[in-house]
Amino acid sequence: MITFRLYTDKEKETEYLNEMSRKGYAMTGFLAGFFRFEACRPGEYLYQVDLTEGFFRVKKDYREFMREMNVEIVCLWGPWVILRKKAVEGPFELYTDVESSIEHYERARWMFKIAAVLEIAAAVVELVCAANSQDKAVIGMTLGFACLLTALAIVFIRQIVRLDKILAGLRERSCVEPGNSGLWGRRKPSVLLPIGLLLNGIALMITETEGPAAFWFGFARGFLHVVSLFCLIAGILYTCHRKR
Amino acid sequence: MCLHGIRKLDMRKRPRRNGENMEKNIPLTESMFYILLSVRRPNHGYGIIQEVGELTKGRVVPGPGTLYGAIQSMLEKGWIGIYSEETDSRKKKEYLITDLGRKVFYEEKRRLQELLRNAEKMEEL
Repeated sequence: MITFRLYTDKEKETEYLNEMSRKGYAMTGFLAGFFRFEACRPGEYLYQVDLTEGFFRVKKDYREFMREMNVEIVCLWGPWVILRKKAVEGPFELYTDVESSIEHYERARWMFKIAAVLEIAAAVVELVCAANSQDKAVIGMTLGFACLLTALAIVFIRQIVRLDKILAGLRERSCVEPGNSGLWGRRKPSVLLPIGLLLNGIALMITETEGPAAFWFGFARGFLHVVSLFCLIAGILYTCHRKR
Repeated sequence: MCLHGIRKLDMRKRPRRNGENMEKNIPLTESMFYILLSVRRPNHGYGIIQEVGELTKGRVVPGPGTLYGAIQSMLEKGWIGIYSEETDSRKKKEYLITDLGRKVFYEEKRRLQELLRNAEKMEEL
């Protein structure tokens, strides 16, 4: 059975997976909002969603550790990993104390923050394209993209606000310094990200389309676009990759 | 494996407030305290969870996420080390506390003892 749901709130997603499990459907796969379910005994599995340092992959340590705990890795999506465990073995909670919960939520918040910033930056790029263009069709398309990207950014920002509330509550119960704890606390965004955006911006400012040098301007523009794309992708991967 | 004599000497020689170390060693969380205790002898992930559960009579049962994070953090800080990795099909990594881990644990023990001593004063008028 396949369903389609879009979740940014991971708590709600976990609830959904467990509810389906109670009804006799165990989630076995996920792709861009499409959930695949297979029949199971009602309530056979308990699901949890974790956040890892990798992107569509988990560290070998993590994989071995979860296997030892009899936790099955169902699938990966970006930094999220869907885990499940047989209900007969007892309750399944990933983070059982305040401090590790705080670390987990801080990681999630960080991830949404980066995603929101990138969406907003991309929306701005689209707006600049729209401003530079005379072609109505192009203006329409780029404005459409800008709206979509802004909407996504808003969704992510709402998650950040929700997580902030949860974190404030948790921090009252403990004495942990905000932002500095855990595996993600000291991560800095890669400098490749603003470089990529800057190069892209420069490329957009090149608008010569006639005259003898037009070929070279066009060439430079294409070149800068591609280089900036590489910088952005590398910057994202580099930021996500564990740094000490 | 028993280096008690050397360790005791080490702790007396070191100044009580080693600036860098004290900064890192803010009060141990309860889970970390019990996890360190559980690896005084070589122990693997599942064994750690069971022992902590027994020691606290079920009050503290670390979840896989908490335990994984704590183990990675303690490995990074050098408080525990990997004791063995079985090479047969059922790989079970075992962890063991290090000298630094013991030092951190005893500092926490001293802090808790001070707390308890002072807690008695609540009965004073």
